[in-house]
Amino acid sequence: MKTVRQNLLAIPILVWFGLLVGIPLIYVVVLSFMSRDSLGNIVFQFTLENYQRVFDPVYLKVFLNSFLLAVLTGIITLVIGYPVAYITAKLERKQRAAAIGLIMLPFWISSLLRTYGWVILLGSSGVINNILIALKLIDAPIPMMYKFSTTLIGTAYMLIPFMIIAIYNSVDKLDQSLLEASYDLGASRWKTFLKITLPLTVPGIAGGFTLVFIPALGLYFIADLLGGGQTVFLGNLINTLATRGRNRPLAAAFSVGMILLVLGVLAVYGRITKDKVEGLFK
Amino acid sequence: MRKRVSGFEVFYLSLFFVVLYLPVLSVILYSFNASSSTAQWSGLTLDWYRELFRDRVIGQAFLVSLQVAILTALLSAVLGTAAAVISLAVTKGMQKTIQGVMILPLLVPEVALGVSLLVFFNGLGLPFGHLTLVLSHSLFCVPYVYIMVQLRLAEIDRSIIESARDLGATKWQTVKTIILPLVMPSITTASLLAIAMSLDDVVISTFMSGPRTTTLPVHIFSMMRVGVTPKVNALCTLILVGTFFVIGLNQVISKNSKLRGLSD
Repeated sequence: MKTVRQNLLAIPILVWFGLLVGIPLIYVVVLSFMSRDSLGNIVFQFTLENYQRVFDPVYLKVFLNSFLLAVLTGIITLVIGYPVAYITAKLERKQRAAAIGLIMLPFWISSLLRTYGWVILLGSSGVINNILIALKLIDAPIPMMYKFSTTLIGTAYMLIPFMIIAIYNSVDKLDQSLLEASYDLGASRWKTFLKITLPLTVPGIAGGFTLVFIPALGLYFIADLLGGGQTVFLGNLINTLATRGRNRPLAAAFSVGMILLVLGVLAVYGRITKDKVEGLFK
Repeated sequence: MRKRVSGFEVFYLSLFFVVLYLPVLSVILYSFNASSSTAQWSGLTLDWYRELFRDRVIGQAFLVSLQVAILTALLSAVLGTAAAVISLAVTKGMQKTIQGVMILPLLVPEVALGVSLLVFFNGLGLPFGHLTLVLSHSLFCVPYVYIMVQLRLAEIDRSIIESARDLGATKWQTVKTIILPLVMPSITTASLLAIAMSLDDVVISTFMSGPRTTTLPVHIFSMMRVGVTPKVNALCTLILVGTFFVIGLNQVISKNSKLRGLSD
């Protein structure tokens, strides 16, 4: 019999995570209301100054940049990834296993390498420009690096496997008889897709969007390497403030803002799928 | 009945895979370029690899990363498996709590997690180095071990466990002789994933590295920021080869153990 006494077994694990996640996160919230002295040391004196600065138009712009990057990453990975997931689900068993393997393999490849690959491809003396010049299609290299769109490409590229796997799981679970019934009743392929497949895979889309949105907020190394710091994102700002800037209370305030953004997205996810957050990782 | 895949669909899928692997292949290809710039291809060379092996700083960073990754994987394997197995014994409510706690670190953006650990460890006066790196990496590795072991546990026939108990095995004996051997392949794969994730982490490691404990990704990142050099390509290629070697080994081992299981 499972008794409450057996729950004691779980205590070490809860304590472990409480110490390493719970308390640090609470501490960040506390810190975001603290001041600092002229040397950058933290002074335990309550202030709202950090949050006032978050709402400064300059910093608000950073929030907007990050939000835009994360939303656009979600949309791009969805538009490109949905057909990939849909086609993969239609493949024969062996080919399907191979396709899924190819989609998942990048998880094992260093994310720095995958970002750096785009530097080599898109740089002004990079592969794409070299080929275009060799083909005499252009005279001078097209500047493709250090733009918002470069960061967007890199972030979407990094995270698209999450989107595809999430959608694939829900396409694969589709009841085939529903689709056959739709065809039997004379619906076209396109209409069946819009009326049956798409609505039934909304949970997968919402799951994929959430799994892409959260990391997209903080992958600052992509913005650094591909965006060249031209557009400032939350991740870069927090990193700079916490390390070189020595303004940890302000970094904490931005972190709290970032976490609130994530909670907002999770709430939307819950609304759409009527599922608990745990469903994301199944 | 599965629907036929059209020619256009095959084309789309192939194009997607080409784009997915193009950046990776470019990095590998240009690690053999004799010219130090991507502007021209001046023939094959292994010079960049030679230069790599002479670089003491990279060697040191690699050593730190490897130690951290192995310690993280061991710690995560123990904690993640324990959490999954303990979930079998506790009440439904506690199961849910464990699940929630496990998912939490995956939902917090890494930067926020990094900052929170930075200020927390700083407040505790913990020296930044191996310890802080392993503790922080375990946060995103334990959940994956837990999830993978739990998925395997869900597949196991409950009657096997019950018969062991009926035959008089203690709880600990059941765990040791029945459950652990059955979930071992998942633990191995999850541990390898933990090693890969730890070896690859940039974001949290930036906050956790000490003055003499720069990890390899943090070092590579600083190299990349300075500019394009084929030495970085060579280093990335070696890491890729190493990772794939380990995955391949895991595949062979798990296949062999399955075959052995069949012949028994």
